[in-house]
Formats: sequence, structure tokens, C-alpha cells
Amino acid sequence: MTLPRRVPLSAALRYRGGGPMWAWILHRISGLSMIIFVALHVLAGFGIQQLGSDWAIWYNTLYESLAFQLFIYFCVIFHAVNGLRIIILDTWPALIKFQREFIWLEWAIVLPVYALTAWIMIQNSLGG
Amino acid sequence: MQVTLKIFRYNPETDKKPHYETYTVEAEPTDRVLDLLEKVKGEQDGTLTFRRSCAHGVCGSDAMRINGVNRLACKVLVQDLGTNRITVEPLLGLPTIKDLVVDMEPFFEHYRSVKPYFINNDPPPKKERLQSPEERARFDDTTKCILCGACTTSCPSFWLDDQYVGPAAIVNAHRFIFDSRDQGAEERLKILADQFGVFRCHTIFNCTLACPREIQITRAIGEVRKAIATGRLD
Ligand code: HEM
Ligand code: HEM
Ligand code: SF4
Ligand code: FES
Repeated sequence: MTLPRRVPLSAALRYRGGGPMWAWILHRISGLSMIIFVALHVLAGFGIQQLGSDWAIWYNTLYESLAFQLFIYFCVIFHAVNGLRIIILDTWPALIKFQREFIWLEWAIVLPVYALTAWIMIQNSLGG
Repeated sequence: MQVTLKIFRYNPETDKKPHYETYTVEAEPTDRVLDLLEKVKGEQDGTLTFRRSCAHGVCGSDAMRINGVNRLACKVLVQDLGTNRITVEPLLGLPTIKDLVVDMEPFFEHYRSVKPYFINNDPPPKKERLQSPEERARFDDTTKCILCGACTTSCPSFWLDDQYVGPAAIVNAHRFIFDSRDQGAEERLKILADQFGVFRCHTIFNCTLACPREIQITRAIGEVRKAIATGRLD
């Protein structure tokens, strides 16, 4: 019998699409992470203020931790800059001949901005 | 040099599940991956099954995954791969019939759906239908397609849902949509504006990087998408 066409996640991730494919995967992960985070965040705010629930306090402690803030901040900055790259390329297809340069430019913006902010966040958290 | 080939094997008559088989062959750095497959089939295991016809990058029958990325086996030299360990697997997202042979029918069905032929209902002129060099250049890039399927089967949107018409069909629609002699643009744009049409593209670029003809596929998709959004063909 013919093997079904289904592409398992493991096979999809082994495909060597390179920089643009990873940018897309990170875009999806960061977008979903932000949605889940914001939803829980609003619920936890409500839970703490109105119900004083243990779960909400636990979740608040989690996202106020440095590691979590560094993660969600990466999601925000990467998603925003990558989203702008996609919007620009979708709006002006002629620019697609520079798509490699756009990927480089994107990381040239994301990495320094992220590093600087992360450094400030770490300094603040150490300073108490 | 010695090359180790790890090849995806599946025989529908005897196997429940696919497996990988490893072969060692003697090769020149300038051998094509297709030559190595022929060598395995001729000298070690005659049951190895794969498609090829022209062996010169024009017929489009031997697209497969070579070291994790879609390529024509007849266009990749051993020295291009930078390693002597080569993994060969069938294209993703289409049913595998045997070993490296996939069922291309879903792919061709999408190709046919965009009306990839000349449409013009005016009576034919006495001589040819004239076109300026600039008008001809407008769709030159997308005339180069050989329908190998490397693009469509590299696309995560297609992996997720094979109702997506796919990059190859859009490339071939683009070839006629932007041809000044053709009158079918409106029909084709309507087909591609469907929920399984051009808007399934997430600008991932796997197609462009896989195309053995170096067609700027993502750009062609972007141009079709823009034509749908603006209603203009400029
Ligand atoms: C780890 C980083 C973050 C921390 C520590 C944080 C903290 C807070 C705090 C303390 C409030 C006030 C809650 C209240 O008064 O009830 C708040 C509200 C809010 N935040 Fe964040 N935030 C973070 C990241 C984000 C991000 C990335 C987004 C959007 C993508 C976001 C969206 C919101 C919204 C929509 C509200 C208003 C909802 C509400 O009042 O319950 N936050 N945040
Ligand atoms: C500067 C702000 C933002 C920009 C420029 C932006 C841009 C984009 C773009 C262009 C896409 C479509 C990507 C594609 O075609 O695959 C997208 C998808 C998405 N965005 Fe954003 N976005 C922003 C903020 C946000 C925020 C704050 C959230 C969540 C709270 C979010 C969640 C998502 C999700 C879940 C998707 C779908 C992911 C996917 O289809 O892969 N975005 N964004
Ligand atoms: S556009 Fe390129 S990759 Fe896609 S089918 Fe045509 S030749 Fe193959
Ligand atoms: S065998 Fe014809 S394209 Fe490779």
C-alpha cells in the first residue's frame, strides 16, 4: 500500500530550509507564546485582585521571574521586527530579490536591541 | 573517493513500514547523485526504485530530498554536498508509492486547476500575436518551470494541508496571468483568491531556495497576490 502523505513534525523540522524557514517557525512560536501569555496574564490579574487564588499568585511569580521576562521580551522584539520584514516583502514583491539581505538586516536590529535591553533587565534585577 | 549512501526504502508488497538502507559506493567528486543511485541499482540492489528520464535537469522527474533539502538528483554533484555521507529520501507531502517514487497526481491536479494554457477568444490574426520585448520579459522567469515539484513539496503550508494549490501551480498561473496576449487573467486570479490559493503563502522561501531552475517563486506569488489585492496587472 502507498504510504500516507502526512508529514510528521520531526520530518518537517529536519528539512533544511535555512534562515527564512527558522524565522517563520520562530514567528509562529513567538506569536502563540504571546497570545497564551497575555490571556493567562489577564486571567491572573483578575484572579489575584478578585479571588486571591494561589494559582494566580504562582503564575504571577512565574512571569515576573527574570528568565520568563527575557523569554517573552525576545518573543515581542523578534515577532515585531520579523513581522515588519514580512509586511514589507508582501507589500513590495520586487524587494524579494533582496530577501537574504532582509534576513541579515532583521538580525542586525533584533540582536543588539535585545542584548541591550536584556543587559538592562539583568542589571535591574541584580540591583533589586 | 568512497561515498556512504543512506537511502529511504519502502516496498509496498512486503514492508509494513519504511526503513533506511546504507550502501557504500566508489565515486568521483564530479559524479552526480543520480549516477550513484544508478550504481547502487546496477551493481548492488536492482530493486531500488526511483524516477529519472533525461538525466540533464530538463524533464523534472528526479526531484527528491538530498541531505534534507529538495534537489534534482541529476543536478547535484557529490562535491557540491561537501560531505561523503549522503542521505536520499522521497519528497515530503505526497504519498510514497515505492522507495523514492511519490504519487505526483495531487501535484498535477493543482497544476491543472489554474488553467495553465493560453486563453484568448479573439479570432487568430493572419500572422503571430505580437508582443514587445518588455511585455515578453514580464513573465520570462516563470516560463522556466519544469514541473519537478521541488517547490510545492518543500512548502510547510503544503505539508500541513495538501488542498493548498502550492507554489508550482501559482508559478504556472503567473506565466499566463502576466502574458499580454492572454485573456484568462481574471479567471485565474479568481481561482487563486480562494482560501486555498495564494494567501496560504507565509513568505517562508523554502520554494525559492529549492527550485532547480532558480525561479524567484516567492516573488511570483507576491506579484499574483498583489494583483488580486489591487485588481491591477502592472
Ligand atoms: C514579563 C513581562 C510582563 C510583565 C511583568 C507584565 C506585567 C503587567 C502588570 C503588573 C500589569 C498590571 C496588571 C493589573 O494591574 O491587573 C499588566 C497588564 C497588562 N499587560 Fe503586561 N506584563 C508583561 C508583558 C506583557 C506583554 C508582552 C503584553 C502584550 C503582548 C502585555 C499585555 C498586558 C495587558 C493587555 C495588560 C492589561 C490587562 C489587565 O489589566 O489585566 N504584558 N502587565
Ligand atoms: C509590532 C507588532 C506586530 C507585528 C508587526 C506583527 C506582525 C505579524 C505578521 C506580519 C503576521 C503574519 C505572519 C505570516 O504571514 O505568517 C503575524 C502573525 C501572528 N501574530 Fe503578530 N505582529 C505583531 C504583534 C503581535 C502580538 C502582540 C501578538 C500576540 C499577542 C501576535 C500574535 C500573532 C500570531 C499568533 C500570529 C499567527 C502566527 C502564524 O501564522 O505563524 N502578533 N504577526
Ligand atoms: S517552480 Fe521550480 S521547483 Fe517548482 S516545479 Fe517549477 S522548476 Fe520545479
Ligand atoms: S532526470 Fe530529468 S530532470 Fe533530472
